Amino acid sequence: MQRVITVSLNRIAYHFEEDAHRKLKLYLDDATQALARHPGRAEVLADIEQAIADQCRRRLEPGRTVISLAELEPALLEIGPVEMPSAGADGAPATDGAAAAARPATGLQQVSEGAWISGVCNGLARSAALDVTLVRVIAVLLLFVTGGAMILLYAVLMLLLPYAPVDPHAQPLRWLPSKCRELVLAIRARLSALTG
Amino acid sequence: MKQDTDIRFGPIRKGLLEFLVLKIVGSRSVYVPDILRALSSTEFATQEGTLYPLLSKLRRESLVDYEWQESDAGPPRKYYRLTESGRSYLASLCDYWARINRTVENIGREPCSE
Repeated sequence: MQRVITVSLNRIAYHFEEDAHRKLKLYLDDATQALARHPGRAEVLADIEQAIADQCRRRLEPGRTVISLAELEPALLEIGPVEMPSAGADGAPATDGAAAAARPATGLQQVSEGAWISGVCNGLARSAALDVTLVRVIAVLLLFVTGGAMILLYAVLMLLLPYAPVDPHAQPLRWLPSKCRELVLAIRARLSALTG
Repeated sequence: MKQDTDIRFGPIRKGLLEFLVLKIVGSRSVYVPDILRALSSTEFATQEGTLYPLLSKLRRESLVDYEWQESDAGPPRKYYRLTESGRSYLASLCDYWARINRTVENIGREPCSE
């Protein structure tokens, strides 16, 4: 039995199974991040929410009212990752990929695809243009040198560094990176609820 | 080889998508699935995740506009059409495209169409 979560998509209530809700949240978080510098972000997100709702409803078997991964996954695949348009009067920079467009000014991000734990080393390697194995070897060496304090540093970076958007066309994330991502996003949501 | 050109010309396709969307919106008032369908069998096949941000940008640039229309199946839909300035912008784009095309055809020794 799955818990059901009710969410508002473009201001209409929809019921999602728990794991579908988690996937939806990741997708919308990525979309929000990808549109960070799009002045019409709210409008686009509303359009995307509407598209998700339409696609899921079309896939829902008659008589069913709860959306599961069986409807959501093909729906998101059809909608595709949310991408910034190329350069125009809005001043959006032309880039050759959504990931590049979504990268914040700092450049430091966690990259969940191909990650071992949460993607900190993976992300550091990408932004420093280093081989990820080299970064991991350094991290493990530091773990010994610092007598374990490295674990704390990793945890802090994991909580602080933003996640790079996940390409929904790519292979699904491995278990640990996807769990880390969910955990960190849940903690951040809790924190922002507490502070906001 | 096809894959190779596919990747190599990705940025060109991305840049031209806006032009094609303006052309589609210019032909009649359309909603997003119409645009997706028009592009689906071409090299410019795209998805809602790309199209909505682009349409929003074009709207902010006052090149397109939309109106809500009731639909028999589901919620009201946004129907997009060109604005006056969108229409003149598209005309100048078409002009520019024709010139670029001529240049590509005529430059160098090997014509594209033999």
